[in-house]
Amino acid sequence: MLKVGVIGLGNMGKLHLLNALRIKEINVVAVADKSEKNRKSVEKYHIKTYDDYSKLIDAEKLDAVIISLPNFLKKESVVYAAENKLDIFLDKPLARNFPEAQEIVQEVEKENVRLMVGVNYRYFPSVQKLKNNLDDGRIGDAVIATSELILNGPLSHSVVPTPVPEWWLNKEMAGGGVLLDLGYHLIDILSWMFGDLEVAYSNLGYRLNLSVEDAGTVMLESKNHGTRCIVNVGWFSKSIFPDFNFRINIHGTVGYDSTDRYAPRDLRVHAVKEGTLNFFRRILKRKMHYLSYTYYYSSFYQVLELFFDTLNKGAEPPISLEEQLDVIRIIDFVYRQNGVK
Amino acid sequence: MAKVVLTSLKTKNFSDDDIDKAVERAIDRLDFNFRDDLQNVVIKPNLCYYWDYSTGETTDPRVVSAVIDYVRDKVGNDVNIAVAEADASAMKTKYSFRVLGYDKLCQAKNVKLENLSEGNIVDVKVNVSGKEIVLPINEILLNADLIINVPKLKTHNFIGATCALKNMFGAISKPRKYSYHEMISHVIVGVNKIVRSHITIVDGLIVRGSYPKKLGVVMAGDDPLATDFIAVEIMGFNPKGVPYLNLAAREQIGQTRNVELIEDNVKLSEVKKDFPKYNYFMHKISLDLQLKMLRLYGAVVGDVIPPFLEK
Repeated sequence: MLKVGVIGLGNMGKLHLLNALRIKEINVVAVADKSEKNRKSVEKYHIKTYDDYSKLIDAEKLDAVIISLPNFLKKESVVYAAENKLDIFLDKPLARNFPEAQEIVQEVEKENVRLMVGVNYRYFPSVQKLKNNLDDGRIGDAVIATSELILNGPLSHSVVPTPVPEWWLNKEMAGGGVLLDLGYHLIDILSWMFGDLEVAYSNLGYRLNLSVEDAGTVMLESKNHGTRCIVNVGWFSKSIFPDFNFRINIHGTVGYDSTDRYAPRDLRVHAVKEGTLNFFRRILKRKMHYLSYTYYYSSFYQVLELFFDTLNKGAEPPISLEEQLDVIRIIDFVYRQNGVK
Repeated sequence: MAKVVLTSLKTKNFSDDDIDKAVERAIDRLDFNFRDDLQNVVIKPNLCYYWDYSTGETTDPRVVSAVIDYVRDKVGNDVNIAVAEADASAMKTKYSFRVLGYDKLCQAKNVKLENLSEGNIVDVKVNVSGKEIVLPINEILLNADLIINVPKLKTHNFIGATCALKNMFGAISKPRKYSYHEMISHVIVGVNKIVRSHITIVDGLIVRGSYPKKLGVVMAGDDPLATDFIAVEIMGFNPKGVPYLNLAAREQIGQTRNVELIEDNVKLSEVKKDFPKYNYFMHKISLDLQLKMLRLYGAVVGDVIPPFLEK
């Protein structure tokens, strides 16, 4: 059984921990976070805690780590884990910028460890269905693809209000704004669907007067397929969970298809249905569909399970580093095109 | 006698000029006596979070701009004006001032922007209905000659309705005001006993009820409680059914009976009819029930509850 450590216990890190605790083939042995409050919040799981990830890696005999740290801490933590021959599951983005991403990839390749970026949006059921239809030829040749992801980004707050982590709004620490945060997912999906994308046009918006962009429009062209793709992202909307303003539309030579066709119309009704199904799965001792009641969040469990499944099988992760490097390359290009330093 | 003025912009495309005129008309009709010796004026908008004015959640900076111009016109250009707000549980003014356009406004108008969570803060004791409360209040408020409260006309998920009195809750220096929620009515009344708003200018341009709506209304009042009684009536609530207003009335922090409502160019009944009504009780029950069911489901089935939904 793989021995795993979780590094970073913010909202995402905690979610990864909760998911990892439910994956049968792994054993979560310890977690690390600088914040005492965050460490205390996971005491109920009876896992060892460390206040520094290097202490965790030095003290425990691990096989892999889940890294869920702010962007400015990614490179040093990935390098340290790789030097200690650990396989790595990393939250997106791969890095703050292209040179940093290249350094990470070089280090991972040098140490011959496996690193997978958890681009969970690929695993939304609606995205999987759209990709299958595209691959099966049901849409024909894709000529135009449009994508949208407009949320409220770091400015959202949970049931118990908490201040926005400062690093999110600091260009140096975050590496970028909404394009690096939400655009990363859309560019990854479009790249996965159509490959070899080049930037044809881009524009960034600053309605919120932050040091990072809060809106972005990018037009991409696929060299392989000739598909023109449009990415629209924003942090400016007051959308609150379970609202989720996301879609990919593909206009092909056969017809039109969209993730909107496959996502539940009413997420509350969906939650009740999936919750009931999971209740019976538990009683009948069938495989649980964790977080399926949230629709979108189940992808976090799936992508993590997939990563550990490939490690157990000794296979290469299904999301390659080359693909992730390409996403960062595109984002870096857009920033340079718009004069962002 | 307390006075409350209700005026309408009579348009849905609010220009700066429309807003200036509406604010001017509302204060003019209030006939408020601006003393010549006023030195320090504090304007308290509602910047509860980072959602901008178009959501109906925060005060439109153009309303504050119109208030600044009016005060300067009445008192003179030498008067010190500060726009002030405190940090909140999930909001830091250093970001909200920027995100909501107050940085730009105050630079353009040459007025100060003050974070009420920083600087000289005094613990002030106040007795509310026999209960003694200590609230941290910034000296900027305690030393002000004139406090102009510029709240929103909007419903609130936790207390039903919010306007003038609740806006002063946001002026308490302590950022983590979430901790006051157990005794929120007492704290709202307490802060208003300590810091009295001399004039209230209600931003009802875009209101938030069950959804945001361009209502195009400005209210002015010389008594925050009287203003709130009219405001919550517009929102479809019985003022006496709102616990903090009921407590405020019992504590006699303002007028509730001896009130003159001046319907400038619009009737209260018309505005009330136009407000997007919000069923606060159903919302609260529904949200609480959903969260309880979610926790029960997580415990019984063993599924994951995303941390941001944990209370």
